[in-house]
Amino acid sequence: MNEEALVLKLFGIPFNVGNILSGLVAALVVFAFIFWLSRDVKMKPTGKQNYLEFLIDFTNGIVKSAMPDEIGRQFRLLAFTLFMFIFVSNQLGLMIEFAIGDIHYIKSPTASPLTTLTLAFIVLTMAHFVGAKKFGLWGYVKNSFLSPMPMMAPISMIEQFTNFLTVALRLFGNIFSGEVLLTTIGHFAKSKGIWTTIPAIPLEMIWQGFSLFIGTIQAYVFVTLIMVYVSEKVEVE
Amino acid sequence: MNSTFLLDAQGVQWGDFLFYLVTFLLLIAAIKHFAWDSIAGMMDKRAEKIADDIDSAERNRIKAAELAEQREAALKDSHIEASQIVDRAKKNGEEQKATILASANSEATALKERARKDIEQERQDALEGVKNDVAELSIEIASKVIQKELNASGHETLVDSYIEGLGKHNETR
Repeated sequence: MNEEALVLKLFGIPFNVGNILSGLVAALVVFAFIFWLSRDVKMKPTGKQNYLEFLIDFTNGIVKSAMPDEIGRQFRLLAFTLFMFIFVSNQLGLMIEFAIGDIHYIKSPTASPLTTLTLAFIVLTMAHFVGAKKFGLWGYVKNSFLSPMPMMAPISMIEQFTNFLTVALRLFGNIFSGEVLLTTIGHFAKSKGIWTTIPAIPLEMIWQGFSLFIGTIQAYVFVTLIMVYVSEKVEVE
Repeated sequence: MNSTFLLDAQGVQWGDFLFYLVTFLLLIAAIKHFAWDSIAGMMDKRAEKIADDIDSAERNRIKAAELAEQREAALKDSHIEASQIVDRAKKNGEEQKATILASANSEATALKERARKDIEQERQDALEGVKNDVAELSIEIASKVIQKELNASGHETLVDSYIEGLGKHNETR
């Protein structure tokens, strides 16, 4: 996947155009989908409302498994949006790859470590703030770093960064490797004419199906782990 | 040069970080405004309604059981009452029968007594009548016997005096 990236500088800030366009498409797809599903909400759900409620129940379940309901309520919307955005991002690259020359404009946004690091950063930073707001600054420090014993403080400190890095890089690695292998199979198909194209077709199909599966699992894993890390900040252990 | 990794020759594209920060927060806000509030509110309302329905169903069930118990008790009471009523009616009938029989008996005795008295009276009357008849008959017989004796023996003086008496009798008339 040795692609070039178009980098624009705006006000001295470097932007990766491909990454930004992909993220924008993913966000728009998620919003349009949810907006369409949530029209005409009724007490007795029908059709698409059932589907939306199934999704919400699913992400609510993830939150519920990490922390009790009264604390978890405020994170439900976050978990739902996070799951939908990551899920769509993971699958986006499987459905459309838009490239002009060597530069990819549309791909999986989560195949870039910056995207996954940003998402993990948003949620974990918020968790630290919620924890500090809930227990007060000292209570938050005690709960997050000095428990169960003050000796653990250095390990707890390091853990904050390792948690953040592992959860983000796990998602990135899974999606990126999937795209790398798809591209590799694509190169293989074109390399020796018809003799490699025919075996490449089932191979590509199998790998796409597997990537679909991986993308779904990884979205679930990301949200689950993030919620567990959040619960460590906002819950008394 | 691989742009997909965090660091490359062009440095970190940290604009992406800002972009995703803003995009994700905007996405959350948009979903909250356009979808989440209505659907989550509706889900909460539904959960509340279901809980309410379950509670009210439980209350209704208890009430129904109470009512059934009351009805059962009332039914039992009414059974007892009914048998009491039947008993009372039987007793009443029994008593009535006894009084009717007694009164009929006494009436019959009275009737018999009166009849006996009447018969006695009749008999007395008949005897009286017979006595009178006997007297008349005996007088007639006696007169006939006397006439015959008169003819046979010729008691002339007696007949004469009678005739005389008859004549006097006619004169006075």
